[in-house]
Amino acid sequence: MGNENRVVITGLGAVSPFGLGRALLAKNMLEHKSSVKFNPTLAAIKDLTSHVSSTVEEIDFSFIPRRFRRSMSKMSLYAYAAVKEALESANIEKPDEKTALFLGSTISSMQTWVDFSQKYISGEFDTVKTSVVFQVMNNSPLANISQSFDLKGPGFGSSTACATSLTNIGLAYLGIKSGFISQAIAGGTDEYHPIMTVCFAIMNAAASRYNSQAELASRPFDINRDGIVCGEGCGIIILESLQSALKRNAKIYGEIIGFGTNTETASISHPSKECIANCMKLALENAKLTPSDIDFVNAHATSTIAGDIEEAQAVGELFGGQVLVNSLKGHIGHTMAASGSLELIACLDMLEREEFAPTLNLCEVDPKCSCINLFKENKKVKVNTFIKNSFALGGTNCCLIVRRY
Amino acid sequence: MEKMTRQEIIKTVNDALIKEFELKPEQMKPEANFFSDLGLDSLDAVDMVIVLEQAFKAKLRANYEVGKILTLNDLYDYIEQLMNNA
Repeated sequence: MGNENRVVITGLGAVSPFGLGRALLAKNMLEHKSSVKFNPTLAAIKDLTSHVSSTVEEIDFSFIPRRFRRSMSKMSLYAYAAVKEALESANIEKPDEKTALFLGSTISSMQTWVDFSQKYISGEFDTVKTSVVFQVMNNSPLANISQSFDLKGPGFGSSTACATSLTNIGLAYLGIKSGFISQAIAGGTDEYHPIMTVCFAIMNAAASRYNSQAELASRPFDINRDGIVCGEGCGIIILESLQSALKRNAKIYGEIIGFGTNTETASISHPSKECIANCMKLALENAKLTPSDIDFVNAHATSTIAGDIEEAQAVGELFGGQVLVNSLKGHIGHTMAASGSLELIACLDMLEREEFAPTLNLCEVDPKCSCINLFKENKKVKVNTFIKNSFALGGTNCCLIVRRY
Repeated sequence: MEKMTRQEIIKTVNDALIKEFELKPEQMKPEANFFSDLGLDSLDAVDMVIVLEQAFKAKLRANYEVGKILTLNDLYDYIEQLMNNA
């Protein structure tokens, strides 16, 4: 279609377990650092065997005006800081009123719900402040960010569990490509609560083996991996049409050229290699590329026993054993709704540096994952086109293809 | 409702509102209007009642006159009157 817009990335913002700011992501990853820590709250929960998490250290958010901050739980505070950084990096002082917002989380604030529920059950609901209502809504981050940045354009809050941010970025890409919008702020945000780890523990999918050496706990593709380390954060991308970016002489961090999404229906919890491969093929078709055009795969791989194998085999069958593959969850655990966008931001930085971090804690590759080109040291390589995967409980798969501009 | 002096009422109200709404002590003039001077809005007005109920350990919202309170002085008067009638 000749009249479709090209879509470029012109802004990046992050709050991650490494702290406030996108620069901390790739830097710490290339230094082989882990943000995973022992969590005493988890250790105190009876019968819970996973005692590790990857959380954001205390940040002073008093710079956010009170009238906006009052209705924000942590996930919206993270989103505010990430959006602010993304706009600054895009050299946008005030976003155009028509700018679209695509922002979601896996669930709304669990801590706020717990506090609210306790008051409700004990008959004290009339001591709950109005701001709580705006923190427990499913669209809380979307609402809070629209209000704080005066975004009057379309607002979409897709919530597709762990694929949330890539779903939102993919939809923003499609919206700009079609001409429906010309600029968008997109991503995902989540705040950690011990109940997250409990949820994965119920499914026997929470990391338990390295409680006393927490930094080793998240180890995608490694033979000794035993589950997810839950985390939190927010990754935000500014997308716009190439025309819009060129017009304002914006720095371009990369071009999105393909998006694929599908749904696993064989299982609500387990992705299959067939469905994953189909999703990556959809992204390739959308980008009008063939597998040989891809020179890097940033995997979703969460360090679960089943998921990593299915993804490795899907990648191996589609791209062969030569294309470089990493997962960044060894460094920061699984940041849930933020994982797709935070890892994408790290990859864009690595693309620019021409140096990619390996999968942290990958000591011995699981033989069932050995069909792909995993690496153990930093790789100095000029990547032109990479694919970023995100898969979710519930079945949503998303794959995004990004090209050096 | 426990009896307090006017000065104690003023201090309790001001401390609670300064903390909740991040106000500066110098803003707490008796004639200050909650909306035009202190920058509060309708959601804050609802939360203000909750905060004051906790500070005074008493129910305040059942009284319809709450809606007529526009300034800090109105509020001090109202609470003082509630105490005197208790």
